Amino acid sequence: MLNELNSLKEGAGLFADYLLLLFTTAPRRPKALFNVLRGKRTVSTLFAGLTTGTLSLLDSWHGVALPTFEAATQQLVTAGWLVTTDPGYLKLTPAGEQHQQQLMTTLYLPTAWEGFQSADVRQFTATSQLALQVVSEAVHQQRRYYPITTDRRIQRTVKQWFRQWQRPTLGQQIYQELTSFLQTQSSELATVFSQSLTGFNFPGQTDQQLAAQVDRQPIEILVMRKDLSCHWVAWLKENPGTPLAALLQPYLKPNPVSSSAWQTYQDYKTGESLAQISQRRRLKLSTVREHLLEVAILWPDFPAAELLTPTRVTQLAAIFADNPVIETWRFQTVQAVLPEMDFFWFRLYQIMRCHDAA
Amino acid sequence: MQREALYQLLKNKYGFDEFRPGQYQVISDLLAGQDVLAVLPTGTGKSLIYQLVGSLVPGLVIVVSPLISLMQDQVARLNYQGEKQVAALTSQLDYGSRQSILTHLTQLKFLFISPEMLKQPPVLTALKATTISLLVIDEAHCISTWGPDFRPDYLSLGALKQALGEPLTLMLTATATDKVRQDILTQLQVPAAQQVIYSVNRPNIYLAVEQVASEADKRTRLQQLVLAVQRPSIVYFSSKRQTDLIAEWLRTTTNLRVAAYHAGLSAEDRFKIQQQFMAGDLDVICATSAFGMGINKADIRQVIHYHLPNNLADYVQEIGRAGRDGEPALAVLLYAPGDEQLVRNLNDLTMASPIEIRRDQQRFQQEQAPGTDLSAVLQYYWTHGYSVEQVTAQFEKRQRAKETELAQLLTYIQTKTCRRAVLMTYFNEAAPAHTPHCCQLAGEPLPLDKLGLTASAKTPQAATTPWQQILAQLFLQNS
Repeated sequence: MLNELNSLKEGAGLFADYLLLLFTTAPRRPKALFNVLRGKRTVSTLFAGLTTGTLSLLDSWHGVALPTFEAATQQLVTAGWLVTTDPGYLKLTPAGEQHQQQLMTTLYLPTAWEGFQSADVRQFTATSQLALQVVSEAVHQQRRYYPITTDRRIQRTVKQWFRQWQRPTLGQQIYQELTSFLQTQSSELATVFSQSLTGFNFPGQTDQQLAAQVDRQPIEILVMRKDLSCHWVAWLKENPGTPLAALLQPYLKPNPVSSSAWQTYQDYKTGESLAQISQRRRLKLSTVREHLLEVAILWPDFPAAELLTPTRVTQLAAIFADNPVIETWRFQTVQAVLPEMDFFWFRLYQIMRCHDAA
Repeated sequence: MQREALYQLLKNKYGFDEFRPGQYQVISDLLAGQDVLAVLPTGTGKSLIYQLVGSLVPGLVIVVSPLISLMQDQVARLNYQGEKQVAALTSQLDYGSRQSILTHLTQLKFLFISPEMLKQPPVLTALKATTISLLVIDEAHCISTWGPDFRPDYLSLGALKQALGEPLTLMLTATATDKVRQDILTQLQVPAAQQVIYSVNRPNIYLAVEQVASEADKRTRLQQLVLAVQRPSIVYFSSKRQTDLIAEWLRTTTNLRVAAYHAGLSAEDRFKIQQQFMAGDLDVICATSAFGMGINKADIRQVIHYHLPNNLADYVQEIGRAGRDGEPALAVLLYAPGDEQLVRNLNDLTMASPIEIRRDQQRFQQEQAPGTDLSAVLQYYWTHGYSVEQVTAQFEKRQRAKETELAQLLTYIQTKTCRRAVLMTYFNEAAPAHTPHCCQLAGEPLPLDKLGLTASAKTPQAATTPWQQILAQLFLQNS
């Protein structure tokens, strides 16, 4: 959805508050954080997410534009809250640390954003908005209305869903489902959720209007609504068999890994060597290795030690025995001792140690 | 087709007994195979024309439209009227959605599209393989006011029409001077098109200009007007930032229900604000000119311009959103000395010096991608083989035209005589005799009582409804 991006262009200033929360007194690469937020699934981005503890934010600001992000970081630097250390790195200043503490107590902080990894939350949100409008209009026998979205794919999905679930009690069912869900939320969140709905004789409130109503910043309303979607997805997974759980079904992801990487992992588990997988699936060996690194980062059960072999584990452990700060390890250090060793083994070992540390 | 059959269709499909002025003539010309340039005042149901023709002639109706938000409005409106086979092909769609539209073209009856999107080779190829019943150029005056600088892609519409096999073409606009009409026919290469022209005059809209001394006075006057005059009102601004700021200020200082509307909002927010406005949940909309093109609200009582419009044609188009129900309405243009400089500054943004033009051509020759908005505009000319001299001449001509437009606007503002007469002269129409209900002559107070436009008591702000009650209202019958 580009919607968010459009409103964010105007809101770099408020976005900056949330951005400040992602920095620490140890230097971090803002570009890597940017890629995590916009959901770029390269191994280097995922690894940055792992080492900075921000993987749960992967794709949470999908579509955020680089200029918006840069304007926001620049604003934090100008305010004296962030400072450049090495080129391309930023860290909190003492004043920034203080301000961050303050923001943690005043800003709305999301509590369910890991949900972005378990479903296509954005598509589900857009689809559910129209679905709820269609049900509401139907309950009141209204056949002529302006649909909240004119996206034909979403319209088709909702039409099929509605045909399948249409019955005189559907409105009652949806009412009960939403009531049960909102009872699990704070009254502020329940207000934001219900007021932003669209339906019969009820266009719904914009983020700006809700912000004035509950005395928050519009960006906080945006964060609340994303968080509500994540909570809702989690709730629907616990309450299957209902009409709205059925609407969610196609948007669920079995695991956070991309499907091709997951396939590579399955191949590996059958005992195929990396070279065999590469040959059979006509993938470059480097691609097969990237796939496995992706799985290793996002799937903590990945048998990294087994793949590394005890020999490599011992060798690498010896090299970094004196340095407990995993993200500061450099591949050059390995090359100086073991010139034959591939980068893949170094990175895999790093990932394994990150998971162990966590 | 028989006259009776058309009236029957109008009755059955849309529930109307009579065509609005101009509709019947345009429809029968099109059905006779004639290209048509229709200049019909706002609120005369221009979309009904292509909807009706589309339902009679087999094939796809392509509607070229200047704004994404406008296209979404139009699709939503057709959906609302029960037309399901409608889509908008815009740059906002992701790749999958776009492909889905192109592979399902035969299932569509109406396709809304921007000129930029229309000229993309995969789009053009897909459309060439489709039967086209009608090509509609909506807001056709944009070819002239937005063309040479802002939307060079409009210059391609003639060639694109040819590439599509010269389909039957309908050019629609609410306002067009002789010169603009000529421009449209030339650009689209349809010199023989029928012209159906109705007066732009809207006698029920009282025309007023309020001269104020400063920006602060302007704000104060704005506040007085939205409080004193019957609502709802639209206030137009030329910048998004001002739109937001003044909306917020009015909201906090008047207790009226005020919202801002501009292209920076998300599609969801635009939808909600429009629907709130149509449902009567808002008293005042502060907007950029993007608001209202697709709006069909009959009872807007006042249109205020906080900043100057681009020119008189845009002004007539924008105030035309008031009083579509035929009841009295008010158009007020607020003017502080020096306001015209803002228009000049905006014009200058789109201007280029001969040196800049030459430098950009060198960029093009060195095969570097355009890096600025201006470069992106110039790129069109270079890829179409224009010389630096031709482009420079084009820009200068455009700049002179804009100065002339501004001068005409200032004449309207500063006239000591009938303002409507100035407007009508601009559109080469004869002016009706001045009456007390026509316009505000210099120095006269606003006759709100006489016009019946004095505001009634303020609408109280609704209290927040508990969430349980909202769910009940939305999803339970008889609640």
